[in-house]
Amino acid sequence: MKIRTTKYIIKDGIINAYRNKLMSLASIIIVTASLLVFGIFLLISVNIKYKIDDVMQKQLQIEVYCDSKLDETQVDSLEVQIQKNQYVSDVRKVTKEEALERCKKLLEENGKILEGYDQSFLPESFIIKIKDPEHIKSVVEDFKKLQGVDDVGFLEDNVVELSSISYWTRIISILILIILLSVSIFIISNTIKLTVFARRREINIMKYIGATDLFIRLPFIVEGIIIGFIGAVISFVITYYFYTTIEGQVSKGIVGENFNFIDINSIVLYVIGSYFIIGTMVGGIGSGISIRKYLHV
Amino acid sequence: MVKFENVTKLYENGTLALSGVNLKINKGDFAFFIGPSGSGKSTLIKLILREEETTEGDVIVNGFNVSTMRRKDIPHLRRSIGVVFQDFRLLPGKTVYENVAFAMQIVEAMPKEIRRRVPMILGLVGLSKKASAYPNQLSGGEQQRVALARALVNNPALLVADEPTGNLDPETSWGIIKLLNDINQMGTTIIVATHEKSIVDAMKKRVIALSKGEIIRDQEKGLYENEDKNHEIHN
Repeated sequence: MKIRTTKYIIKDGIINAYRNKLMSLASIIIVTASLLVFGIFLLISVNIKYKIDDVMQKQLQIEVYCDSKLDETQVDSLEVQIQKNQYVSDVRKVTKEEALERCKKLLEENGKILEGYDQSFLPESFIIKIKDPEHIKSVVEDFKKLQGVDDVGFLEDNVVELSSISYWTRIISILILIILLSVSIFIISNTIKLTVFARRREINIMKYIGATDLFIRLPFIVEGIIIGFIGAVISFVITYYFYTTIEGQVSKGIVGENFNFIDINSIVLYVIGSYFIIGTMVGGIGSGISIRKYLHV
Repeated sequence: MVKFENVTKLYENGTLALSGVNLKINKGDFAFFIGPSGSGKSTLIKLILREEETTEGDVIVNGFNVSTMRRKDIPHLRRSIGVVFQDFRLLPGKTVYENVAFAMQIVEAMPKEIRRRVPMILGLVGLSKKASAYPNQLSGGEQQRVALARALVNNPALLVADEPTGNLDPETSWGIIKLLNDINQMGTTIIVATHEKSIVDAMKKRVIALSKGEIIRDQEKGLYENEDKNHEIHN
């Protein structure tokens, strides 16, 4: 295809979108509405995940207690083994002396009863930070099996519960997002089908004058992309405006002191990306496919 | 230029539209297809444009064997034929100028060539002043002249018109027919399907009469009715 034809096709697509104002407007509104429904859920699910991870991050520590009979080299080799685990982000060794200090602190005034005791009866331990909350359970199980480990404990009891909540939230939100995405694609491509249907005669005429299928189809694809693009821009502006407004209100403490949203700037690429990809791809591919039926003349 | 060899067309609904049609139209001819509705003249036009496929026989148009050609070659066949319909078939979203220019854009003509040729053709059909109007702002006669301009702009060797005056009043019809005649004088082969007696009789061109899917008369300088037949009846 020659450059002048490409130029013509792009120009024609833009002009058509403009001249079929009413249909274009209807399509843009529908694209915008579908994207907004999708976007709102995306933001809600991202925020829930953020909240849960935030809570968990603070509690993502476990402590591995060594057998008190281990000698120093055995403890060191245990430390190496622990560090090898892929989900471990940090390991801190608690020596017998530290353990004794800790015990004394725990017993407070009664700590005196420990005086005179040698620290050797206390086990050494490791305080371990885990990278991903979801894996905490399996990591604990793995460490329990290690030679020389006496016990593994959580610093907080509800970590296990939270990690399964985090897991299921992610699964469910991905499922809902997929459903919403399919519904959006379905609605948008149906709207495009309608606009193409309204112009089937036009397509027919072009065929009679000897236009190739590609020549007829490309301006429609350009038109679909433009409509999808405009829909994406509008939905993004609306989303950004409302998100920042709500975020501002909530962080002022209307809902509760402790509730902060993800900063829009850290997820802005997600939102822009998904809007533009869905909008333009569905717009372009949708009209390319819908027009096919009318090309057989 | 156009050749039908033993052409039979049976539609899927069982209608036999043409049976055993043989026909040859030469370069520079001006031919009328006449006959009542259902006689098969529209089917002839549809076969020339490859809107329909033959059931049997061959149709050769501008060197294309229409009955055996592949789908992707159809646009090339259609570009070699200028075509005018009863219902004009202009693109409603494009101006008069753009409608005519469109036919050149699909053959990837140079923009400079388009800018030169479109106004010239619009001048030929007498619509220079309406270049920026949309089809729905024009009268029927004007719309048909735009269609004619579009059909001519790529200088086709063959122009096919299916009931070009069917939606027009007599006076406007004459304007269109005169234009067709002028175009024919410049060397373009012209085929017109019509059932308007007055036009056929006044033009005295080649007449190909159809009835029930068969050619019943093929006569140079013919009239709408068969003179011999009339004679027989009067006797």
